This record gives sequence, structure tokens and C-alpha cells, in this order.
Amino acid sequence: MAPTSIKWKTMIAGLSVMGVIAAGCGDNAGNNTAGNTNTPATNTANEGAANNAGTPETTGPVKGGTLTVSSFSDIVSLNPLFIGDTASGDIAYLIFANLLDYDRNGNAVAEPWSLLESVPEISEDGKTYTLKLKADAKWSDGTPVTADDIMFLINTAKNPEAASPAIASFDKVDKVEKVDDKTAKITLKQVYAPFLNVLVTNVVPSHILKDVPAKELKGHAYGKDPAQTVTNGPWKWSSWTQKQNLIMDKDPNYWAKSTNDVNIDKIVYKIYADQNTEVQAFIKGDVDTISAIPVTQVEAVRGKGLEVNVEPGPTYEYLGFNFNKDNFGGKPSLFEGQKTRQAIATALNRDAMIEAILKGTGKALNAPFLPGSWADPGADAIEYKFDPEKAKALLAEDGWKDTNNNGTVDKDGREFEFELQYNAGNSRREAVSSAIQNDLKTIGIKVNTKGIDFASWIEQNVTPGKYQAMLLSWSLSNPDPDSEAIFSSKYFAPEGQNSGFYNNPTLDKLWVDGYSTTDQEKRKEIYKQVGKEISTNLPYVFMYQYGLPQGIGKRIKWADGDGPQASLAYGYFYGINKWWVEDQK
Amino acid sequence: MGEYFIRRTLQSVVVLFLITIFTFGLIHAAPGGPTSMFLSPGLSQEAMKQQAENMGLYDPLHIQYFRWLGDILQGDLGNTFKNNLPVADILWPTVKNTLVLMGVAWLLTLIIAIPWGIYNSTREYGLSDQTASFISYIGFAMPTFWFGIILQSFFSIELDWLPLSDMYTMGKEGDVGDLLMHLILPVSVLTLGFLASYLKYSRASMLEVLEQDYIRTARAKGVPERKVVFRHALRNALIPIITIIGLDLPLLVGGAALTENVFNWPGMGRLFVEAASGREYTILMALTLLTAVFVVIGNLIADILYAIVDPRVQLGKGGKSA
Repeated sequence: MAPTSIKWKTMIAGLSVMGVIAAGCGDNAGNNTAGNTNTPATNTANEGAANNAGTPETTGPVKGGTLTVSSFSDIVSLNPLFIGDTASGDIAYLIFANLLDYDRNGNAVAEPWSLLESVPEISEDGKTYTLKLKADAKWSDGTPVTADDIMFLINTAKNPEAASPAIASFDKVDKVEKVDDKTAKITLKQVYAPFLNVLVTNVVPSHILKDVPAKELKGHAYGKDPAQTVTNGPWKWSSWTQKQNLIMDKDPNYWAKSTNDVNIDKIVYKIYADQNTEVQAFIKGDVDTISAIPVTQVEAVRGKGLEVNVEPGPTYEYLGFNFNKDNFGGKPSLFEGQKTRQAIATALNRDAMIEAILKGTGKALNAPFLPGSWADPGADAIEYKFDPEKAKALLAEDGWKDTNNNGTVDKDGREFEFELQYNAGNSRREAVSSAIQNDLKTIGIKVNTKGIDFASWIEQNVTPGKYQAMLLSWSLSNPDPDSEAIFSSKYFAPEGQNSGFYNNPTLDKLWVDGYSTTDQEKRKEIYKQVGKEISTNLPYVFMYQYGLPQGIGKRIKWADGDGPQASLAYGYFYGINKWWVEDQK
Repeated sequence: MGEYFIRRTLQSVVVLFLITIFTFGLIHAAPGGPTSMFLSPGLSQEAMKQQAENMGLYDPLHIQYFRWLGDILQGDLGNTFKNNLPVADILWPTVKNTLVLMGVAWLLTLIIAIPWGIYNSTREYGLSDQTASFISYIGFAMPTFWFGIILQSFFSIELDWLPLSDMYTMGKEGDVGDLLMHLILPVSVLTLGFLASYLKYSRASMLEVLEQDYIRTARAKGVPERKVVFRHALRNALIPIITIIGLDLPLLVGGAALTENVFNWPGMGRLFVEAASGREYTILMALTLLTAVFVVIGNLIADILYAIVDPRVQLGKGGKSA
């Protein structure tokens, strides 16, 4: 089996000037197995709350009302087996319950609205998980949620014929057995510490789908026709007008109503083809919350007295190096020297980029662990402070000098010139790649930037690993620090996601050690070493963590501590089960 | 005329057939396929290949083409790759929405531009003519999306007189009054763009006719000016305008992707852009075919109208046959 990334990572097409194109371009922030990074729930939650609480009428939760949420893409399918895009994941968050849910710190826990009674018991050897479902958990048609649904989910996802993107999640599962109607037992092939995160997932109604051949599941009406899509969350799916809107209504028969009685009656998910129009609609009040305001418009929106949350999300951008000779005409990669890579990292003025291009909405990072998460190596990761002189010195130590005085450093008669690829139409990457070009010019490295249409780029360059350097990002939809699937030499492209052909035996071993123990303290030590090694050796220059600024309209209210949690995937909806709307239409 | 009509129709079928082959080849030649859009977290190459196989993307191209053609002949536009929904369900509503928007804007343009342009030709460089020129320049020079944004922020956000976007207020689908309110801004943007050219066309074409010898003859004979303009000149001046109307007919379905995007109008232009970037072959083929049909029909209508306006034109005989 090819890449076994348990960590659901996604390439982010990111904000694009042409919202439509970005929407069609795989801006997939991952599945409902939403994740987070243990960022303490500080100002994120309270910023909005403090402001909104200032409205005098606020007395406490009000029942009823409609909440309008905007998006720039339509759903693909709401069948949990085929959810891979942001829009579908958004809706799934509202209409489905998960086996486990994340708390604000990114721990997988059993909330009153989770399907499992408690966090599963793990056997002595760390391989067997016993899942007990809540006795009253039901689908919207009244059928109980059973162990069969869990088994159906896992067995179907693992069946390659179904072609489900969830296949990678359950890759480490050896078998799943039914103990009784409400209990399932999952046995893993090996100890795999991040597995609890995999259980932050919806299940699939086996009573509806069990007789559908695997190949036909994708075409089945379940997940596409609201009338045929039974759900098990607080809202049910009432209608879908393609490319225009989806409507969710509070489900009067919701099984967890007694403990999780949501306030909002109706949620409208409105799709905008143009991001500027989406922002205008938010300013006008047509829309109550918008999950992605272009950074260039944040100030304008604030100028209208509206709340914008700019906490960075679980996504980081990187400058990826390629180490495969084939991309350099059969000669060794230009980036082979560790000092060369360090020189590049030192030459980049990341703070200036964050300030000028991201308008302060990002945070520099030095290792592939989001700042503030439990695995964040902190000071153990090496920080490359902007210092062009030091960068030049590092290059020289590695043998790169401008011997022919043409402005570009060279070594053994080879000029240091490379191509930096990114997806065309993404205005942030366009600007950042020019900044990289400029910064590296000052130390004598010539960069040719090249924007390529997203679909072509992914197929012809990223997936097969055919590029010299690229600017792209990873979305960590899961708070676990395991990143074996993108850095280990086991996962070279085109089958795996290590598209830069990075090979570091020390790290390869550390990744395995990292997930082979369930002892959190031991893991922490291991990821500290990973952080140190990876920030010294630099398979990428880790640029910054960034997010999509969320606009919060005046009608949305929540009690202190119930606001959105930007550090989690789908964090803009976090706490929506407790929000309410005022001045009801 | 009947024979001419049949011949033209048969020709059109051949043209359409060639267009479909050409487009099919072109679309499939573009790098990246629908599967690169499914690039979801951790989806293995294996699973991706399985998906492509389930969708029949590994069959030889000519097999895929004839399968598509066979389906089309039976009225089946196929399903989307992304989520296996019938293309017809997505296409027809957007066609209808675009027809409403473009139809209104276009009719309005013709109603304003033809009489005004003709009037201006009789009073060259007068105040009215200067005003029309000014509007044309603005219409040519101003990017539609920018004009749209300006109108939105003024009439919708600042004054709050008109809706910002969409075709209907949610919950009022089918309400004509609501539709009209939603039409005002996008129609203004589109009409301004169309007016720019149509005002120029009608004025220029009338001016040219008014300089003809037979008009001078008519005037010399003492025919009243009003009669010269409406009897003698107008019919002839309309001929080139009709050509342009015929050629512009496909605009009705081609839509204006930018305007549709800015006003979030659920139309075809927007669908086209999304389908192209998502490599949704079936949607692209359906849209191309539909546009091609409109081009062919537009040309046909223009030719027939010639014959009505200009008796010298004898369809199917002599020089004017197509």
C-alpha cells in the first residue's frame, strides 16, 4: 500500500485572486477528522466573545433563528467515505456526530455529543482498541448507530475498490470485530500512537449502504440527495441547490438532544463564486460568518466595525527542496549541502514577508510542528534569523563563490540558479516567491519563479516530484506530530508524498520511534529530537504558520469560552452547538 | 428557401460533429485530469487509479469519445466526475439563469442602442451624439467586474437600496418582483458594456447609408427627411446590425463569467470556469456543444433575416448563399 499518512495532510491551494479557481483547485483542508495543535484556548475564543457580549440586549442563549455561513466552494459529497474537501467537511461537521471529538487543546475525547461512551480502552500491548457506542445514539431515521456502522466504515474505507480517501486513515488497522451491537474491537498491525485521532470521524449507516457494491458507492445517492441522507448530528440536511446553497435544519429527533440542545434552528450555507462578493455580503450582513477573508481585506472589514479573528490556523507554508538528480540534469541537487540550505533559510526575511504579504496574519515556524502544540520543540528547533551576511558566509563555506563576477555564485563551474514553482493565481504564493527571489538574489542565488495552473502542477510536478524547488503548504488536520509520510524515505514520490526525495536515516528511525509508543512523555522527547534534527538538516525551509481570517458578524453570540478555535481544522465552527443568533430574521 | 434551410441544417450537423471531436481532443490533451482534483489527504496513487478506472478514464480516447457521443444522441449528457451527478441537472438551471440575465440586458441594449444610434446619425456631433460617444468610451474602457463592485458598494452597501448578489432572496425563489430587484445591478453592468458597441454600430451603419447616392437622389427629389430616414435608409442600415445580432446570439448562453461571478449569479459563465479548472470533461463538452449550437443558430437566423430585410438577397441562389 502506498503512502500511509495517518495524519491527514492536504495541499492547500490557498487564497486566490480568482476565488472560483481556487475553489476548484483542491483547497482541501482535510476530512472531518479535524485536528488541532494544542494551542491554548486563549484570545481566539475570547476576542469575539468580549466584543459581542458588549451588546446590551445580551441576556443569554436564545433559541431559534437562522445563521448564514458563506463559502467559496460547493460540496462534493456528504457520504463520510468520500469527504475530502473543505465544503463537504464543513457540512459534515454540522450534520454528523463523530466517534470522538477534539477538545480545545486538540485531545480526542468523548464529549456528550460524541458517539462513543468514553475514550476507548487500549490493550496492554497497545494494539487493541475497544470502542463502546452510546446506548441511545441513533440515525435520523431512528435506526440505532451500531458496531456494524463502525465495521462498515473501516472495511469499506480499506477496500481499494471503493476508492475512498479514508483508506490512508485506516491503513494501520489489521482487523475490526463486532463484540456486541454497541461494541467494536479494532486491532492494529503495530503500535500506532496517533490512532485516537483517526477515531475523530463520522461513521457510515450500514443499514442503508451495506448492499451497495463498493465500486458503486461513490455514485450512490447517499450523501448527495438530502432526502436519502440519514444523519446523526444536531442538524439534518434539508436541501441542496447546487452552486448556490445548502440548508440544514435543527433535527427534532436528534438522539443527544437532552445533553446537546443546540440553539440555532436553521443554518444556511451560502456559496459565493467570488471572494470579494463574499466579503461584501458579510459587510452588508447577508452573511453572519465568513471563514476566509483575504488578508488584503481584513482592515477594510474591521473598518466597518466587524470582528475579524486572525489567529493562524493549522497550516504551514514551506519552501521545498528537491534532492533528486533527475531534476538537475543528472547532476547532484543544488541543495545537497546542509550549509547551502541553512544559507537559504538565513537569507530569507520571513518576518518582512509575514508583515507585508500576510498582513501580520502568520507566525514564523522552524519545524513541522505548530507552535504551541505539545510536540512543539520550542527552543530545541533552530531558528534562522534573517542575516544576509551570515548567509553569504555559509554559502562560501559550502564552496559557493562568485568566481566569474557575474553576480551569481558558482561551484565547480556550475551557477547557482534554480526554478521555484507555485500554483498560478494564488496571490500570496506569487508575492512570497518574488520575495524569496529578491532575498536570495542578495546572496548571489538566481531564482526563476514559475506559476503553474494547479491541476497541471499537481499532476505533472508535485505528485511525481518533478521540480527543483516549490512553495506549497501542508494542512495539519490532526494534532498529532507524526509526519513520517512526508519526510521518510519510505514514501518517495510518485507513490508517496515525499516528493522532494528527502532521505535522512536518522529521521526515518525517529518517526517510527515516535509513533511506536503510546507514552506521551516519551513521545515528547522523541519529537524534540526530530525538531532539532529536521531544523538543522532542513528538507524544507519552514516558512510560517498561517490561517484564513474569520469574520464574525454582529448577530452571532456565544458565552465566554465558547467561541471559534482557529488552531483546529474546522475551528471556525468550534462551539457552534452553543452559539445563538440575535435580532432574528 | 425550404431547400436552403435543409441544406444549412445538414451542414450545421457536420460542423457540430467536427467541433465535438476537436473539443474532446483538446480538453483531454490539457494536462491534469479530473482525478488530480480528488487529491485528498493521503489518497494513495492506487486509490486514485482505482477512481480513474471506475470512471472509465483509462479507456482509449476514441472509445471514450464514442461512448460520450452515443450518450449525447440519446439525450444523456453524462455525469460529473467529481461526484457522479447528472450533468443535465447542473446545466439546465444555469442555462435558464444566464438566459434571463443576458436576455434582459441584450434586449434593453437593442431597445436603447438602435433608435439612439440612428437618431445620433442624423444629428452628428450634437449633444446627444456626444453623450452617446462618452457612454461608449466608458463602456469600452471600464472593466465590468470593477464597475460591478462600484455599483454594489454604492447601491447595495452604502444606500442599501438593492440586493448585493444572487438571483433571488433566499426563500423567495420564483418571485418576479424579487428577481427584478436582483436584475438591476448586473443588467446595468452588462448593458453598459453592450451599449458601447451597439451604439457605435447603429450610428456608423446609418451614417454610411445616408451618404449613399440613392439617399442623395431621394433628397434631391424632395422626399421629406423623415421619410428618407425611415423609408429609404433604415432598412439598409439594419443589415449589418442584424449580422452582429446574429453573431452575438451565442453570448446569451456564453454568459459573462466575470459579471456572473461578481453578482454571484448562478449562471453558465461561472459553471464554465469551474468546470475548466476542475477538468470536468462532461460539463465542458455539454457547454461547448450548447454554445456551438447557438453559434450555428445565430448565423442561420441572421441569414434568414437578411432575406426579409433585403429583398436583393436570395437564399440558396447566387452569390449570397452560405
